[in-house]
Amino acid sequence: MEFQWNKEQQAFRATVREFLDRHLPDNWERIAHGPGSTAQSHFSRQFCANLAAAGLLVPHWPQRWGGQDADAWSAFILAEEMWAAGEPRGGQYMNVNWIGPTLMRFGSEAQQRRYIPPMAQGETLWCQGFSEPEAGSDLASLRTKAERNQDQYCINGQKIWTSYAAEAETCFLLARTGSGKKGISIFLVPMDTPGITVVEIPSLIGEGDIHEVFFENVMVPASAMLGEEGQAWDIVRTALSLERVGIPRFALASRMLRRAIAMLKQRNDFHHGAVTQAARAHAACEAARLFSYEIIDQRQKGNTVGAEASVARVATVNAERMVAEYVVEHLPEALAGGDPLLLAHHQRGIVAGIASGAAEIQLNLIATQLLQLPREPR
Amino acid sequence: MDFSPNPDQIALNSALDKLAENFKTPPTDFRRFALLDNSLDQALENGGFFEAANIPELGPVSAAMMVETLARLPYTAEVALSMLVRPQLEGDWPRPLALVENGRPGRFVAEAATLIILDGDQVGLLSAPAGATVKVESLFAYPMGKTKEQLAFTPLDNTQASRIRTWLRVALSAEVAGLLQSALDAATEHLRLRKQFGRPLGSFQAVQHRMAECAVLTRGVRLLALQAAWSGDAGDAAVAALHAQESASRAVYDLHQFMGAMGMTLEFPLHLWTYRLKALLSELNGRSAQAHAVSEYCFLDNSEKSDD
Ligand SMILES: Cc1cc2nc3c(=O)[nH]c(=O)nc-3n(C[C@H](O)[C@H](O)[C@H](O)COP(=O)(O)OP(=O)(O)OC[C@H]3O[C@@H](n4cnc5c(N)ncnc54)[C@H](O)[C@@H]3O)c2cc1C
Repeated sequence: MEFQWNKEQQAFRATVREFLDRHLPDNWERIAHGPGSTAQSHFSRQFCANLAAAGLLVPHWPQRWGGQDADAWSAFILAEEMWAAGEPRGGQYMNVNWIGPTLMRFGSEAQQRRYIPPMAQGETLWCQGFSEPEAGSDLASLRTKAERNQDQYCINGQKIWTSYAAEAETCFLLARTGSGKKGISIFLVPMDTPGITVVEIPSLIGEGDIHEVFFENVMVPASAMLGEEGQAWDIVRTALSLERVGIPRFALASRMLRRAIAMLKQRNDFHHGAVTQAARAHAACEAARLFSYEIIDQRQKGNTVGAEASVARVATVNAERMVAEYVVEHLPEALAGGDPLLLAHHQRGIVAGIASGAAEIQLNLIATQLLQLPREPR
Repeated sequence: MDFSPNPDQIALNSALDKLAENFKTPPTDFRRFALLDNSLDQALENGGFFEAANIPELGPVSAAMMVETLARLPYTAEVALSMLVRPQLEGDWPRPLALVENGRPGRFVAEAATLIILDGDQVGLLSAPAGATVKVESLFAYPMGKTKEQLAFTPLDNTQASRIRTWLRVALSAEVAGLLQSALDAATEHLRLRKQFGRPLGSFQAVQHRMAECAVLTRGVRLLALQAAWSGDAGDAAVAALHAQESASRAVYDLHQFMGAMGMTLEFPLHLWTYRLKALLSELNGRSAQAHAVSEYCFLDNSEKSDD
């Protein structure tokens, strides 16, 4: 057992931090507020192109696709540093983590040639069209329909909560081509296809983050399908297993907790409850961090990860919540014109238990898979 | 980072598992508060298990894994301080060890050969004077004892004192991790078997979620304890002890709750773990003291990036 980074890992983290120091402008923390906003999307395109040029966008991808075959730890260190800095990659983190690798595995040659190089160069933004008004946690009940008409599919329906939709070039879309779980297929749909309408949803969580996306007689060639008809469920499961630990949210939470403590100390307000609660939140962040590392360790060793990933997510949600609540209680000005990154953290923190699947679903998995309690009768 | 034990640690763990096998089941007529068997202590002595922390290939992290494993047993012995604190003491102090905290009753105090005295900010070490301690009856499922009167001691210097406090925190967290795991296992087993409303109680989501939360806490305590044992860092130890006491206080109530009335009996051995956890809750001055230690060691500098 070993709880420390080796020399190369330390050096890699230092490289990433240096890059961030050099490329994040002074007003970056103001831009970071609003991860899907026009301002951040524009910034991210330039930033990701620079990252790519420095070999820091997709180091864990195979060389064939512009990567360096770096290991799971490097990918995670990179993700930690990016998230802790306010995620300057914006929505492109999805390309890096799972959309690119999923296309490498399941895409046709034409799809790969068309879509992967721009991702590796940091030039393109995707959105994820899964959730619908009537299909949230119960994703398999989605209704958006794709009907085949010779060489084309005609798509009709509605997606919701779609992040980055207003700025994205392409949508990783789930649509129904039959009934049940086996009746769902994936389409790679250019967002400028006629019949697509994007409407931003004003929200608590930052400018330009979530949208409704309407599909009205959207025609796509059959070659836009990823994998085979009805294969979506299997592909998505694999895709999301690449994302098992998900975003290293504890990294920003931890950093923002430290920032809050420093601010409280500076005005001589770090006493009693503020100390105890900070310590508890710090311990929660530390637990979340170790759980995530445990999973990366497993992945690095080529082992399959089961409900441990859910443990990591639940611990992360707890940590996010404790830090967000800490700031609200002790530095309420953060939500009223104060430190912009504390505000951005609050806005990202409060969705930790909802975005990419409700925490309760993770608790169900821990109960039934890890503790092997009997399933609820349906 | 590597979360797998090395081959030496694996070998030690499996030798310990084999030894522990003999102490896994309480006697069928067991109806008492504490469950002791001197042969457990003896077997650990004979097997040289108390020396692990000093062996470079094993180290304190191995000792912490053993403490966690042994804390899962219904039988108890003075293990945690001997395995994790004793190797850090200057000089050769005989075991068993016990903590005497501000004169309160403590675990193994009446049996101990060495007493670690915590008195306010001061820390002392004493060979237990003959006749200075007495047994105390208690609900805590450890043999409890106290000193008859306040014992005089020479306070240790700051370096030694804080080293001892650090390793006491590591020992406490490793023990809490094992106790939580067994309490969780006992309740889980019950929830799989016990049926009401025509279905196992464990199939109710209201129960499942609270159990899942307990599982998350338990695993977190274990990882943090192992990290602290590995690094010996005062901050890591404070974080581990805080999370341990915090988690214990959150989990114990639920785990009893899900046993219904059966959990209130001495026949069902859940109290062996939960009342040990309750004993550990108050040690080292309890949660708020750990929180202040976290603040002292982890929030010192104003850097936001000490996460590497
Ligand atoms: C910031 C943000 C960004 C998002 N981005 C995207 C995106 O880019 N693309 C996309 O497709 N989706 C996106 N989502 C949607 C997200 O995936 C869904 O919100 C999520 O799957 C939950 O679905 P829902 O919101 O419909 O909640 P519902 O399914 O209606 O559930 C509401 C609540 O009920 C509880 N609940 C639900 N099911 C269970 C159960 N089985 N057991 C116990 N409790 C339960 C949970 O507390 C849950 O939070 C985003 C969401 C957010 C908040």
